[in-house]
Amino acid sequence: MKEKVLEILEEYCEEALTYDGDSMMEDGIIDSFTVINIVSELEEEFDIEIDAKYVVAENFKNKEAIIGLVERLLEE
Amino acid sequence: MGKRFDRVVVVGYGKATGNVLKYIEEQRQAYGYQLEFIEHELHALSITRKICEERGIPYTSMPDKHELAAYLCSIMEKTLIVSASNNFLFPAVCVEKENITIINFHNALLPDYPGRNAPSWVIYQGERQTGITWHYVTAGIDEGNIIIQKRCAIGPEDKAYELTERLMDLACEGFAECFAAVLEERAQTISQGSILGRRMYRSTEVPGNGFFELSEEPEAIYRLLRSVDYGKNDIFPHMQTVVDGVRVEVIRYRKIVPEKKKDEENVIFLPLSGTHLLKIKYRIL
Repeated sequence: MKEKVLEILEEYCEEALTYDGDSMMEDGIIDSFTVINIVSELEEEFDIEIDAKYVVAENFKNKEAIIGLVERLLEE
Repeated sequence: MGKRFDRVVVVGYGKATGNVLKYIEEQRQAYGYQLEFIEHELHALSITRKICEERGIPYTSMPDKHELAAYLCSIMEKTLIVSASNNFLFPAVCVEKENITIINFHNALLPDYPGRNAPSWVIYQGERQTGITWHYVTAGIDEGNIIIQKRCAIGPEDKAYELTERLMDLACEGFAECFAAVLEERAQTISQGSILGRRMYRSTEVPGNGFFELSEEPEAIYRLLRSVDYGKNDIFPHMQTVVDGVRVEVIRYRKIVPEKKKDEENVIFLPLSGTHLLKIKYRIL
């Protein structure tokens, strides 16, 4: 799963792979439009529905947070 | 440079607002105005507050439209209000104040597609091009004189959020080109001409009335789905259709090559032109 998430990030936001901070939005690594693309790809790849309540900066602060979000949704 | 405006107030949200705000802040020293930002619509991924904090721009969150109207009407200095990606309608009493000038970014080529959600409507109507307009604000909606327009093509695969992003970038380009002329009150404007009877797109209107028949042309269904696609922003309700006599709503959709087709629950495939398929995942209502 992790590898697939990283592949998606590589496609839409390569900088996210090397980013080691804790706020990709505020640091200008990703913007809200990139998040839409990433969410769409994650939903399709893992056949999950990412509710709007999960689409917040905290869940997209770095690659680990995104992987954690997908893990939680797959467990639900 | 002369100081014509004492104060510049930016109202809006999102990427265009953030970039416009940065540009105005960069020009502040040359023109000597005070600058402030008001966030009227709050969004989960907004970074405008962060921009304000970093650059020392006074920031106020004012979600209540009555409070915002009262605040703007109370301004006494000569003020330019920049409305960028903003759905707040400025009341006539504010617009008509002599000390206040308001300019607004509209995400279509006025006088066409006035009102709300223009990127959706241009995609839904099958337009090949659209653009942005910066215009002076009058008491009517999207009626004021045009300051600058910029055009862009609409691609055959464009989704509403993708087009919106391009329009926001264009809005920033256009703003940088016209801001000095607006500040120095020498902008050459163009009247929108006769706008009587033009269609005004309301926030309550939904492309296709939110419904499609599976018997419709797949390309038209694809266009409808793309036209209302803002990701997780619930600007429109989920599109609905009927599958095997049961009402369903679309969860997501995607154009795929036939090799990617596989049996999945609650999924239908429609043939698009060429060899592609339109995959629609739905939820039974």
